[in-house]
Amino acid sequence: MLENLTFVEHFQIWLRAFLILSLFSFLYKDNIFYKFSEHIFAGLSAGYYVGLIWRSVIVQQLINPMFDNSEWWLVFPGILGVLMFARLKPKWTWVSRVSLAFVIGNTAGIYLISSLHGMIFKQIAPMMVSVNQGDGLEKILLALLVIVGVITTLVYFYFSKEHKGALGVTARVGIWFIMIAFGAHFGYTVMGRISLLIGRAEFLFYQWGGSLTQIF
Amino acid sequence: MVISFFFDNEQIFGQKAEEFVLQWVTIVGGFALVLGVFSIVRVNARAVAMKSRDWPFKLMTVVSVFAMAVPAMLPVSKSSNGGKVLFSIIPESWGSLFGTGPNSIYDWLFNYLDSPMMETMFAMLAFFIASAAYRAFRARSADATLLLLTALLVMLWRVPMGEAFLRLFGDSVPDYINTFIMNGFNVAVQRGIIIGAALGAASMSLRIMLGIERTYMGKG
Amino acid sequence: MGFWERIANIDRRWIYLLVALSVTLPMIIAMKFPIGLTPEAKQLFNAIDALPDSSAVMLTFDYYPSTIAETEPMSVAALRHMFSKDMHVLTVSNIPLGGPSIAERVTRAVAAEFGKEYGIDYVNLGYRANYVAVMHGLASSIESIFMSDNTGTPLRELPMMQNIKNYDDLDFIYVVADNATVDYWISIVNAQYDIRVGSGVTAVVAPKMYAFVESGQMTGLLGGMKGAAEYEKLLGKKGTATRGMDSQSLVHLLVIFFVIVGNIGYFASRKKEKK
Repeated sequence: MLENLTFVEHFQIWLRAFLILSLFSFLYKDNIFYKFSEHIFAGLSAGYYVGLIWRSVIVQQLINPMFDNSEWWLVFPGILGVLMFARLKPKWTWVSRVSLAFVIGNTAGIYLISSLHGMIFKQIAPMMVSVNQGDGLEKILLALLVIVGVITTLVYFYFSKEHKGALGVTARVGIWFIMIAFGAHFGYTVMGRISLLIGRAEFLFYQWGGSLTQIF
Repeated sequence: MVISFFFDNEQIFGQKAEEFVLQWVTIVGGFALVLGVFSIVRVNARAVAMKSRDWPFKLMTVVSVFAMAVPAMLPVSKSSNGGKVLFSIIPESWGSLFGTGPNSIYDWLFNYLDSPMMETMFAMLAFFIASAAYRAFRARSADATLLLLTALLVMLWRVPMGEAFLRLFGDSVPDYINTFIMNGFNVAVQRGIIIGAALGAASMSLRIMLGIERTYMGKG
Repeated sequence: MGFWERIANIDRRWIYLLVALSVTLPMIIAMKFPIGLTPEAKQLFNAIDALPDSSAVMLTFDYYPSTIAETEPMSVAALRHMFSKDMHVLTVSNIPLGGPSIAERVTRAVAAEFGKEYGIDYVNLGYRANYVAVMHGLASSIESIFMSDNTGTPLRELPMMQNIKNYDDLDFIYVVADNATVDYWISIVNAQYDIRVGSGVTAVVAPKMYAFVESGQMTGLLGGMKGAAEYEKLLGKKGTATRGMDSQSLVHLLVIFFVIVGNIGYFASRKKEKK
């Protein structure tokens, strides 16, 4: 149960409850309350980005180090950042490509290594298991299941050759694996979406309900 | 980035070369994020100016952007030149309302307006997914039946009541689901997809680095 | 129109009403079924529990406000566990919309429960753009990417940061995420800098993570609200996730019921069409 709430706390709870119910009202049909909340939500979210980037990038990463620590070379990434805004004028879009190339080039370098070293090699390695007699049937079955599943899944997603003959049979087994895995994924997705609703319902029930009982 | 993985970059480029590049990328990347906000403001402001359909709502979007962004951008103390000017007009004790820290206007708007609305937007998906399960989740073929049965089994297993029900058929049933469905079939397929996607990402990165892929620059 | 056709064409709002009732009912009448534990959740709990007291750990808030019903209980439970062992907690967020604000709110609230002090026991780094570059950058020097913390205090002024300069000074990274950032904590930070990474992720992300746990790249996993409830059980302190499990159970049963009824209706009308 909630402790005695102050006027401000009551107001904060009621404000949130109003916005939540306004958005949920869309489930019945589109209406003015939903539109009102939806547009405020879009604006605030966009404003959040501006505030965050102003504080964390422009002030903390550019202005403060430049003026407090005389790190004047930071003017270069600052210029590269400002050049991004050239995209807003179609005539000047080409200018922004310099900054874009810098970011994309760097990110491509990181992705190349992380994909090969961190994903492919590290995911293939655990399939090279040595099975011993003492391992038990469950472990052997599981190891086999994973190896067969990985190969058949990759074959299913290989579209450069028509899925006929041995390739077709392998791809067919791949579909069964994929269906089971996607079924599990669907089950998890349902679970996730329901959890989010529970979060909102708990707020309305415990917090708004608590405020209601204190007022009335 | 690739060279720094294979070699000691401090010996090749001198100290801090990699640090600089990464620091610069985080700065330039920040500007890219704000770019989208300019477009939102421009599109909505134009709609308001032309008094097009739903313009009062669009005006609220523009006002909300500024209501969130402006207090966050104002100085929080007298330490900066901007702060000296601002706090010669208003009391310095108001400084805690500005910026993005706890108890700021920005923080309040986020916690009591923006965050609850975002949570609700996604919570509504629970209703839609339940409706979709009722109307569209059909055992039309053997493959679809396999998917459907696995989904039902996992849905049962992942909740305490369902798990208690599954234990009626044997105490190890929930463990078998975790072992064979999640750590067996699921791991196999996820691994296949991870390897496939990583191969794609690696080849795309290589194409970008070799100048073959230039679509991100608006070129074919 | 036959019975099954009428059932199949029922107004969607009746379905919504049933869902809403199923979520709310357990809040009035508690059911309290026991929460089963998975090996993945135990692995994560044991990994953090086995760390020596006063270790330095990183906790990430890589999630949007949209998923806090699933993710926030994971962060809260982890913080309670870490603070109870007097660990030094460094938080970071790779999410531009809400991440840093959620980190501030959650860490300050849990720290108050344990009497922990900002700057000495925990530090919130905040957000920087381009998360893959951030993850790489933290490896050589945290200060090269975060010259100051989330509120603008220079890191050199925070006592805790005198001993934490890069990943080498951290004992564990616990990623709480609702998106792809967790992939890169694994493929960049764990793979290249050899630091143990565990994760608590939303249910939508969880199935993919099993592949990383199985390969040994990830040390333990919590999947969705149930995962958070498992951690709360292991910690011995019930939270919002445990409380939500009754509603979760009932709505799952309702969805299963919907699927079964929907399919009976589908086959019944198909049989009628064939006739």
